[in-house]
Amino acid sequence: MNNLLRLTAVGVAGVLAVTIAGCTGGAPGGDSDDPNTIRFMIGQPEDPADLELTEQDMLKFEEETGIKVELDVIPSENVRTVLQTQLRSGEGPDVFGYDTGPGFAGALSDAGLLYPLTDAYAEFDWPVYEFAQERVTFNGDIVGIPNDIETLGLFYNMTLFDALGLDRPESTSDLLNACEVIKETGVIPFAISDQEGWQGGHLLSIVLSSEIGSQATKALIDGEASWDSPEVVNALQTLKNFNDNGCFTPSPAAVTYDNANALFYSGEAAINPTGSWLLQDTERNVDFEVGYIPFPASDGPGIFSGGLGAGLFISATTKKAEAALAFLDYTMTQEHGAWVIENAQSIPAFPIDTTGIEATPLFTQVLADAAKIADGSGDFGFNIDVLMSDTFNEAMWNGVQAILTGQATPEEVAASLQENY
Amino acid sequence: MSIASRSLAPTVTRRAQARLGIVLIIPVMIMVVVFFLIPLVNALYFSVVDFNGVNPNPPFIGLANFERMFTDPKMWAALSNNLIWIFVGTISPMVIGLLVAMLLWSVQRASVVYRVVFFLPYILPGVAIGIVWGWIYDPVNGLLNEILRAVGLGAVARGWLGEPDVALYAVLVTAIWAGTGFAIVIFLSALRNVDVELVDASRIDGANSAQRLWYVILPQITPVFIMVLTLTLVGGFSVFDIIFIMTGGGPAGATEVLGTYAYSNAFQLNNIGYGTTLALLITVLSVPIAIALNRLQRRLSLQGTSA
Repeated sequence: MNNLLRLTAVGVAGVLAVTIAGCTGGAPGGDSDDPNTIRFMIGQPEDPADLELTEQDMLKFEEETGIKVELDVIPSENVRTVLQTQLRSGEGPDVFGYDTGPGFAGALSDAGLLYPLTDAYAEFDWPVYEFAQERVTFNGDIVGIPNDIETLGLFYNMTLFDALGLDRPESTSDLLNACEVIKETGVIPFAISDQEGWQGGHLLSIVLSSEIGSQATKALIDGEASWDSPEVVNALQTLKNFNDNGCFTPSPAAVTYDNANALFYSGEAAINPTGSWLLQDTERNVDFEVGYIPFPASDGPGIFSGGLGAGLFISATTKKAEAALAFLDYTMTQEHGAWVIENAQSIPAFPIDTTGIEATPLFTQVLADAAKIADGSGDFGFNIDVLMSDTFNEAMWNGVQAILTGQATPEEVAASLQENY
Repeated sequence: MSIASRSLAPTVTRRAQARLGIVLIIPVMIMVVVFFLIPLVNALYFSVVDFNGVNPNPPFIGLANFERMFTDPKMWAALSNNLIWIFVGTISPMVIGLLVAMLLWSVQRASVVYRVVFFLPYILPGVAIGIVWGWIYDPVNGLLNEILRAVGLGAVARGWLGEPDVALYAVLVTAIWAGTGFAIVIFLSALRNVDVELVDASRIDGANSAQRLWYVILPQITPVFIMVLTLTLVGGFSVFDIIFIMTGGGPAGATEVLGTYAYSNAFQLNNIGYGTTLALLITVLSVPIAIALNRLQRRLSLQGTSA
């Protein structure tokens, strides 16, 4: 009996140990108490080469400052859930990369989970563009550093266009005509993916921004105009027309983002509507000349949709604020900005002297466009989903999928957008 | 042993047995409390507050989440998808599993190889299955469409996961492929305990295959049959991973089930209160069925119909 009780006690202890280990255990990588070690969480980059660049950057920061960075990389689709859980439990990363929109960083800021940076901006004199600062300002506090400026547009196979005698499309009818010519060759005109859903938001952004212009798009985003308007319906109808004409990949709601990119890289598709973040991957993977243009309007060449990508933020409960701020400051130097441009083909949200920077012609074009976004000298539309709520975004993503699959009409989707605004 | 000690021994023994019993179930009870009761109480709490995932003091809203749920057309659409999934996704592996098990029952050579081959899909990670079958179903370069075109059935080729009328069934095919191996292996084990003499006797009496299956074999494996039925059926209410990976509930909600709808509300729309309420609905729907089937299985076992 005593032996049995002893065995049972051992068993209970084992169960308790497993339970306690499962319930606690801290964040991945462990939380060092060393004030000169910070944990930096990011979503998995699309290309492993980009992760290597980040790791090199962290090593350089450590060499310069003596502050060690523990890089915590998690699948991008899990960032929101993992981050919220860790931040709420007080065991969040010291620094993390996250989207800047009201449904993302805005929600964290509302819950008091972000370290305010207003004083740090003054102390370190970070020269972030004013429009970019506004995107990371919530409830009167600046809470993040915007990472990069991005544009949405169309990458297209210039080599194929030249071979087919097609000029750069300057209107939607040019684009439809190009679509018909390309179809005859057996190449898919547009590498459209919409299986994940978010691509629909980008499609609507580029069509709407070009067709109605930046002011009218801003009015929609600010709630000064109705989403249930003929302009929005026409933009959605444009997408439907292109799909019905066979210009898009067959059954785009079944095509994933990676597969659509692969279709373009392999030359099986001629045009890839996506953003400037994919520029480096595109240049790495294609063996033809690539052009980058806005989605045209019915009466002209159209405008790019522009905006900010993600940003860097500090957890409100960090015990290593000094080291975290030093890390942010490191990313705001001219030297680092130039390195990011040259190596990651990412465009910082602060002025960088690009003299002497080696860049491909395509990236030089993107850099020039980004400079115009920054100084306000160019006309750019908006990437809608980074500026809207989760509820609106879901209605938009489901709505575009419904149009591409014939489950809803443009009028029904426009009404749904207004209802969910 | 004296009469006095014989009369004391049972009481001491009963108390000792009671203590031993309590001690032996303590580990399981701890796990039940930690991994079931506490999360359940937490879930009930989240279902009556408006929790967005970050607010440390969510406001109490009573039964508003439940009212919303019953008047939410998307919930009813998701539930109808669950019912389709349960109906097709339960009958298919049961029937296919039983038929294949019957075929393997008489196989002597390489029976282990067959069992491994059929069971292998069941142990593969759901995420891997979803990703690979997503490639197979790809509308442009997927293997399925390539094969259909190669054999002259190009007209049948389509965007399997992108067409609202077809997507749910395409995912179901994948799930049936992955899950039937479990039914095969379990049924095969049960068939090994069937009294073969009864089967032979019925054959001599002129019973055909269907009659032997229905009147002789099935009654002997009924408890196992009901066990597999319970697991498959309850799994249909809680299905999530394979749909999430392959379609995300799309296109435009065409493959949305309660699990994916609860997930999107909780983690994509930051509406954890409502998402938890939907998850509780899954529990409320599946638990009574599991209990009823479990009672039926026990009753049949007690009646002596087990193999």
